[in-house]
Formats: sequence, structure tokens, C-alpha cells
Amino acid sequence: MTAIAAAGNEGGRPAAVSGDATLGLILVTPIVVTMVALVFFPLVQTMWDSLHRINPMQAGTPFVGAGNYIAMLSDADLQRTWVNTFLYVAIAVSAETVFGVLAAALINQVKIGRQWLLAAIVLPWALPGVVNAVIWMGIYLPGPGLLNGILTVMGFSFDNHVWFNDRASAIMAISVVHIWRMMPLTIVIVLAAMQSIPDDLYEAAVIDGATRPQLFFLITLPLVRGAIAVAMTNATVNAFNLFDEAWVLASASLDTRPVLVQIYLETFQNLHFSYGMALSLVVTAVSLLVSLVYVVRVYNTTRYD
Amino acid sequence: MRAFLLSTAALAALALAAPANADDSKPLAGKSITVLMPSPQGADVAAEFEKATGIHVDLQTLAWDDIRPKLVTALLAGTAPADVTEFDWSWTGQFNAADWYVPLNDMIDADTVADIKGSSIFTVDGKLLGVPYTNDFRVMLINKKHFTDAGITKMPTTLEELVAAAKQIKDKGITQYPIGLPLSTTEGASTSWYLLTKAFGGELFDKDFKPLFVTPDSAGYKAMAFEKQLLDDGLVDPASTGLRDSQINEGMFAKGVTSIMISGEPGRLGMLNDPSLSQVVGQVEAILVPTASGKTRSYGLLEALAIPKVSQNQEAALAFIKWFTSKDFQIENSSIALPTRTSALAALNEAGKLKSGDVLVEESKYVEPLFPQGTPTWYPQFSSAVNGAINGVAKGQVTVDQAMQNIAGATQKAMAQ
Repeated sequence: MTAIAAAGNEGGRPAAVSGDATLGLILVTPIVVTMVALVFFPLVQTMWDSLHRINPMQAGTPFVGAGNYIAMLSDADLQRTWVNTFLYVAIAVSAETVFGVLAAALINQVKIGRQWLLAAIVLPWALPGVVNAVIWMGIYLPGPGLLNGILTVMGFSFDNHVWFNDRASAIMAISVVHIWRMMPLTIVIVLAAMQSIPDDLYEAAVIDGATRPQLFFLITLPLVRGAIAVAMTNATVNAFNLFDEAWVLASASLDTRPVLVQIYLETFQNLHFSYGMALSLVVTAVSLLVSLVYVVRVYNTTRYD
Repeated sequence: MRAFLLSTAALAALALAAPANADDSKPLAGKSITVLMPSPQGADVAAEFEKATGIHVDLQTLAWDDIRPKLVTALLAGTAPADVTEFDWSWTGQFNAADWYVPLNDMIDADTVADIKGSSIFTVDGKLLGVPYTNDFRVMLINKKHFTDAGITKMPTTLEELVAAAKQIKDKGITQYPIGLPLSTTEGASTSWYLLTKAFGGELFDKDFKPLFVTPDSAGYKAMAFEKQLLDDGLVDPASTGLRDSQINEGMFAKGVTSIMISGEPGRLGMLNDPSLSQVVGQVEAILVPTASGKTRSYGLLEALAIPKVSQNQEAALAFIKWFTSKDFQIENSSIALPTRTSALAALNEAGKLKSGDVLVEESKYVEPLFPQGTPTWYPQFSSAVNGAINGVAKGQVTVDQAMQNIAGATQKAMAQ
């Protein structure tokens, strides 16, 4: 700042730069302060605390080094929750991406009343996760549930089927609710990118004899790849953070318990606070690492140099 | 002049004395406290307390499940979540170890402690950590109409008779699944198994917390096998593996879909007889918990009021607890919380205001603490292991034997932490 100001005194052009820099600093200060206070400081504090034993039932907070992290390796329940979480991530990200892109392509063709269609589609995303899960609980109910009713009417024997008594169907049922809630976000992101593609490209391709699938795979998809990567990053982070759907639909069942529910139980039920902190940091790191794969891939395919 | 001075002095003395008299009857008037309790609570609680003591109350209510995270977060941070808070029996071990609450031994008189028998559940290492305000013990609730329609006239006193009655109701086509029993990974599943363990004549642990449920001849083992048998016999809805106790008790029993609530709460009798909430009004009554021997047993899951050590208004907080747990208020508030005072229960029953009063008063004589040696700090892990095991058995993922070993293993691990 001082250097910029000094440089500004030596000529006309640098003075303008100094003014711009000062304005920039002023504009950026609130977000920097907010991020430091609400994100970076708590993050560093959590990292430091995770290296200690913080349990209100035990006196003191001794330094335990990597003890909390090492304990994760022998935690059988935690390992099951990791498997569940990776299943949720794989199912949710795949489905949200494939169906989200297809839905965006379809909506992109709609010329009349698109805004109403979009409003209806984003509704599940606008609703809180708990509300979505409660609605779906009614759909999955064994007796009067809508799903069993429809399947029974179609002639299948699903009259009193309990979807959550089998791990595979329970994981799938929870994933569906999560996909139902989060897919609208993918649709909105990808649709926005699709709408920015100039019509000229399609018209030229049609003149050259391109078919509709060729238009989609050779023009649309490559040009919305950046948006898809953003949507996939979002989907990944959200799937790692899956909590409400699993908690409402299957409580703490180990068959379906994601890592976030495990963190909740360890922290607030068992009062193992530092272990919960260590777990939270690992989840954050893993979800960011997985997301990084998309980000790097997009950077490599969209940079201009 | 002298007379004038005397009369002026007398008036001044009177003027000074007047507020002093007021302070004597309401010494804490003008103070303000916060109270955190589960919903619902009476709409007039705050106003009535303020009228009686002059203390202003900010009564905050939350869903029961949401209270613990709020308490734990605030107390760990060294701040008071409220001046008076909910204190569940299952938190006793952990919260005592954390040293978060004020011991009330010297503040609550011996007569009150004697009248509220459940006080012993909240006494750890000689410290009384909370005063019970709601009398949640277990009875069995039945739909008397279903029993009558099935031709059952004698209420079951043994588990054998209970199963026979359930089968008779099912055979008559009155209900498809007569018994409501939570089998999900929720506390309600655990508490039902505890009750059945008592019903089979056993305890969960010995005095040194050695598990007493591992061998096939133990009560806990038999209770788990009994639950599995009820499910296999088609007496319990297979969907119970995913239903919370509130869904089974309120959603199914209150609609007449089930006939027997295994782990019944006396407090539900009011709701079940409320036409706006229940479709079985006038059909429900409590019976003594049937057991293998025929001699009833039960245990208490009481909730208390307690004062966090970080509260800045402990004197006024204590006044609230005393007022809320007084005999008069417990009688007045009995439609919301079943009184914990034996004297209040008896008075309500004598006045004919207690539904299934004779049964409740009788069962209350057999209420024992679940952990006579005090609720352990690892109770939450134990309870999770129990309901996880029940859920696994019900889904056919593990055998009863494996389930009992799993509970014992998880308990041992929790104890070692």
C-alpha cells in the first residue's frame, strides 16, 4: 500500500493505479474480514483442536497429536459410513449430471412458458432437506405409501414392501430423495450455459448436414463442459454433506448412515468433540479433493493458452 | 411542630416499609430468567410464575431432540443455554462427569425429595442434579375395545397371556399387527427392550457394569428373542424397522391400527383421549406391565429441571424449579405432565382426574431406575448399540446371539474410551 502510494507520487499513471488499488482494497476488505473471521479462523482453530482431546467428561484438553486421526482407522462403524457416503456420492453425482444435462437440454427446447417450468423444477431445491425427506417418507411408507400403491396397481407384489429393510434399496431410496432435491441446481447451471451458445453454430452445423445427436454431442456438450464441471463439483460437495434425508428416512441405521450423521453422533451424542472435529476436516478434505479432479479437468480443457 | 415532625417521620417509615413488605413475599421480584424445556408446555406457565413470584420468565420450548445439541454446544462453550434447562435421565452420567450442573441437595428440602421418588435417578455420587417434573415410566397401553371385540375379558398379566391376546385379536381380524413395537434405530426401540428385559425378570448390568444379557438364559437375551418371535408371528408390523416410536404410538395406536402399545407412556393417555388428536377416544386404558412371572415391573425415564453452573440467576432459577415441581402446580399441570410427586398423583386419582389412575398409581410403586448404580457416561453408545442390534435382528441381518455379542462388544469399547 505504502509502496503503491510512493510510486503514485512519481508520475500521473501510477497515481490512478494507486487510486484503483485503494478502491479495490476497500471493496475487498469486508469479504476478507468475513472470510477470515467466519471461515479461516474457525478452520485453523478446528485443526488445532483436532490435535487435542476435547471431551467435556474428561478433565483437561491434552495434546494427542494425530491420535484422533489414527483412531479413525480402527473405527468399524466409521468405515461403514464412508462406504455409504461414497455410494451416495457416486449415485447422486452420476444421476444428477446425466439426468440434469438431459433435462436442461429438453427445457432449452421449450420456448413458451419456460419460466413456469423452471419455477416448478426448482421447487424441490428450494424446500429444506427435512421437508423433502418427510414428503418422500410418505411415498415410501409400506402400507399406504404412494410408491407401493403404484407398483401394486401395476400388478407387482409390493403391497407391504418395506424399502428400508434391505440395504441396497434403502441406499437407493435415500439417494433418490437427494437427487430429487439437488438435480434442479444442475439443471439451472447447465441450462444457463446452453442458453449462451450462439444459434449460428447450430444453424451452420445443420447446413453441413449434422443430425440432432451430433448437434448435442459435438456442439452443446463441449460448450457446456465448464458448467457441467461446476454442477458436478456442487453435486459432489452436497452428496458428501448428505444428512437430512438419511436421518429422517432411516434414523441412525448403519445400513444407510453417512459420515455426517456419524460426526453428529460422535460429537453431540458421545461428546467426543475433537474426534468429531477431525472427522469434519477429513470429510471437507476428501470432498474438496474429489471436486478438484473436475476443476483441474475443466481448467485443462477450457483454458485459452 | 413536634407532632408534625413525628407524623412526618412515621409516614416516611411507612413509605420505606411498604416496599420492604412486598420484597418479603416476593424477594426476587423484578429478576428475569430463561427456561428451556421441550414442547409443548402450558401457555400460561410464564404468566402464572411471574404472578406468584414477580420473576419474569422467558420460556423457550424446542422439540425434545433439539434440546440436547443446544445444551451441549452452549455448555461446552461455557455459556448458559438458559437459567433452567431440561435434564433427561439418560444424560445424567455424561452431564455429571462434565460437571455442568449445580448440585441441588442443599436447596431442595428432604420432604420434596421423599415425595418425588424419581429423584434418586438424578442423584449421582450423592449429588442431586435435577428435580423430576414429568413422570415418564412405563405401563402397557391397550385398546380395550379391540380386546372386548376379540372376546378377551381378562387383561394379560404374563407375557404368555399377552401373546395369546394379540394372536386372538389378529385371528379375529380386528388388527393386522396388534402389537406396536419400535424396531428402528431409535431410542424408542432401546427403551422397549429394556422394559422387556425387566419383564423377563432381569437387569442389564451387574453392579460393576458387567453385561447380564449375553447368555441365552439371561433376561435381555430372552427379550430380544421375544421381539423377534413377535415379528415372525406377524404380531408386529415389519415396517416397524423404520418407524420411530412416536409414529407407532401416535400414528398407529392412536388410529386404532394397533391394539397394544408395549412401551406405553402414561402421559400419552391424555392425547389418546383427545378427539382432535386421536381416533380411539374412550377406548384406551393402561394395564400393569405383564411379565414372565406375572408380577409387574417397570422403570422410570423421568425428565427433570436443572440449573447450569454458568447460570447468572441461580436463585431465581431455583425458585422456578420449586414452583414448577410444587404439588399444587403439578396437579394443575397434570394434563401436560404426569406429576412426579406421589402426593399429587394420589390427590388426582382420589379426585377421579387421572385416567387409568388406579393402574398408574399401582405401577408407580414398581418403578425402578434402569441403572441402580447411576446412568453411565457411555449410555448413548450403549443405547445406539442396542437399537442397532434390534434393527439388525428384525431385518434378519444378524441372529439374536450375534446381536447380544454386538451390544456387549460396543459397550466394552465405549467403557474403554
